[in-house]
Amino acid sequence: MFTLKVSDIGKNYGETLLFKNISFEVKRGDVLAITGWNGSGKSTLLRIIAGLVKPSRGQVEMFLNGEPVSRESRRRFLGMVAPALSLYDELTGLENMEFFSKVRGLSGDRKDCLDIIDSVGLTGHATKACGDYSSGMKQRLKLAQALLHKPPLLLLDEPGSNLDSKGIEVVEEIISKQRQSGVTMIASNEKREADYADRIINLSE
Amino acid sequence: MHQTKSERRTTLTESSTYLNEAIAIWLRDLRSEFRTRYALNAILMFAVTTLVAVSFSIGSFRIEEAERPFLYSVLLWIILTFSALSGLSRSFVKEEEAGTIDVLKLSARPQAVFLGKLLFNLTLLGALGLVIVPSFILFMGYQINLPGFFVAVVISGGLGLGAGTTIIAAIIARASARGALFSVLSLPLLFPLMITCMKGCERAAIGINSAGWPEVRIAVAYVVIMVILSLFLFPLVWEE
Repeated sequence: MFTLKVSDIGKNYGETLLFKNISFEVKRGDVLAITGWNGSGKSTLLRIIAGLVKPSRGQVEMFLNGEPVSRESRRRFLGMVAPALSLYDELTGLENMEFFSKVRGLSGDRKDCLDIIDSVGLTGHATKACGDYSSGMKQRLKLAQALLHKPPLLLLDEPGSNLDSKGIEVVEEIISKQRQSGVTMIASNEKREADYADRIINLSE
Repeated sequence: MHQTKSERRTTLTESSTYLNEAIAIWLRDLRSEFRTRYALNAILMFAVTTLVAVSFSIGSFRIEEAERPFLYSVLLWIILTFSALSGLSRSFVKEEEAGTIDVLKLSARPQAVFLGKLLFNLTLLGALGLVIVPSFILFMGYQINLPGFFVAVVISGGLGLGAGTTIIAAIIARASARGALFSVLSLPLLFPLMITCMKGCERAAIGINSAGWPEVRIAVAYVVIMVILSLFLFPLVWEE
């Protein structure tokens, strides 16, 4: 059983306070939405949980079967999709997946990578250079990258951005599957995306 | 206690070794470089231009024969070092500029990233050395009396150059004036290595043999120290 515990997190940039006193605990099956105005710190909160940004105060803890997960190991337990995360444009979609599979210590098996590419609706585009993808196709490939190692914690920052209606269905399916196996956190201003969640934390309040 | 399928899959990734991750990063960088020639063009253009300029302006006739071993050794290492400085920072800068640095941070362990980038930079330096060193010897009429010692100095010096520039490249990747900062920070770090390698190449050219090849040992010690220090320092640089 995977659990994420966020205690009294706050973030300042110099004198500017972004947010403070954010605490929550989520466990397998939970879907949590982070909402708030532009600049309220939704993406920053997800980046803090991912370990990409250090909080000004408070702490993020992860537990697997009650045992704490070390800070160094956390990257293996989470997958993240965000507008600021880019994949390698000069590689094909398949090469991107094979690279991330190998670097994450998975097999790098071509069939597994093609399966995950197919699952986000990019069938037939796996051997095209990522730089030639449309923004929606890139967003789908980012989703595939985040799901590659089947992480128990899925961090989705504006997951529906640039996606068409079929892409939105893919996101809904991913969240639905993740609900059975792990935790999902969604940062968004879209009401539709917030509606996927069981709980909402509004950073503007 | 019950473990889900995804949790078991995640635990399996424990078996990944630093070396496997580093090799995956190295091969990806090579593949990207092969398609974009982002760093190789910069390094080779600088090296070839400098070599041509030096060989035309100085050649093999304008220097007294007794001074040639010293001056040619100095010129060779100036060309190699500044060519390396013109392109080796790209391995990290490109990740920052392309926005891929965060996804790499989320995927690979810091030490594996450093080792992968080091292997990539050493590959570029190897290509540089294979082109420039024979060309320099040919164009300048650089006579080497101890070829084995000379090759050992060039290889160990190249390894040191790669180790020194890789950690500096990581440090400056997020800075705004990266190009200037890379040279300014690298030169003091590389200066002892350059002097050692210049001295070693001069002795190889003259043919003064000494037991234990001291310049090679110093360069190898430099590589070991730089790599060990970098493996400790890099996680601090890599994580915010």
